[in-house]
Amino acid sequence: MTIKVRFFARFRELLGTDIIVTSQEGTHLLTVVKKIAEKSQDGYDAIFDAKGNFREFVIVMQNGKRVETATAGSVPVTDGDEIAVFPPVAGG
Amino acid sequence: MLSARERERYKRQLILFGDEGQERLKKAHIFIAGAGGLGSPVSIYLAVAGVGTLTVVDKDVVDQTNLNRQILHYDKDIGKKKTESAEEKLIAWNPDITIRVIDTTIDAGNVGKLIGRADGIVDAMDNYPTRYLLNDTAHTKKIPFFHGAIRGFYGQATTIIPEKTACLRCIFPCAPPQEVFPVVGVTPGVIGTIQATEVLKYLLGTGDLLANRLLIWDGMAMHTEEIRVEQNPACPTCGAKVNPPETKRSQKREKNDN
Repeated sequence: MTIKVRFFARFRELLGTDIIVTSQEGTHLLTVVKKIAEKSQDGYDAIFDAKGNFREFVIVMQNGKRVETATAGSVPVTDGDEIAVFPPVAGG
Repeated sequence: MLSARERERYKRQLILFGDEGQERLKKAHIFIAGAGGLGSPVSIYLAVAGVGTLTVVDKDVVDQTNLNRQILHYDKDIGKKKTESAEEKLIAWNPDITIRVIDTTIDAGNVGKLIGRADGIVDAMDNYPTRYLLNDTAHTKKIPFFHGAIRGFYGQATTIIPEKTACLRCIFPCAPPQEVFPVVGVTPGVIGTIQATEVLKYLLGTGDLLANRLLIWDGMAMHTEEIRVEQNPACPTCGAKVNPPETKRSQKREKNDN
């Protein structure tokens, strides 16, 4: 099955965007994003903490619905899913 | 009633809004939190559009490092209070409106009083703790909250209508780490102008607001994207006080999906 992962802002610079990946049935969301992010150490560090969890401020959406990042390790992806990952910005 | 001078000043937009729309703008009071990168374009565009009363709050003094983006302030203003500089410029842009400036730090103790009975609150802050305060006050007072934030060549904006849309805490439950953020003036220019556009549309009651839509502007790729957002039932600010049991929630979700 194929999943589309979209990175935004700084994450896009580091990892590219609209990445299509092929995953096996039952793969978890965290695993899918991690596998892509591992291509760039800076990209990985921007999104994940030392324990390999999503940093708490990172926003993850699955088909337009927000995913609690703390539970992303147990959320399965399904064929055709679109996953969006982005960092909120703070400046004004 | 619009004066002859106002009629002339707003001639080109009266074609769009008519007298009634312009009167609505004239009667409105918008609270702008911050006179920096976002606050500059927001306040300038709302002033020249004829929003009757603008309250601008800032605690800072103009610094040379502000001048690459904070277009309310000129080189000659370095060392001056931002509120004083903002008042001077905004009156010069449009002497037919009322400008109120308040030189203070927005905190939990004064935020309610500062906002008063404004018709809208514009987020032109540079930190999440104050944004959350404004968000919570907007929710309590049921005043729309126009969010914007920037970094580098990226920006985001959304319009929060209490009890109707996701609030700032629904969308961003955790603040990103504080930093001295990189920025070029065009970014707050774009995002601040989007916020001002939203304010005008809201006051005029026209168009489609960025309600439950998070707009993301990427100036590097020159892409504008939208992410659909929704209220978080467990949101500490606007979530239902007693969360329904999980089974009920998932049944309801299934129902909505059908």
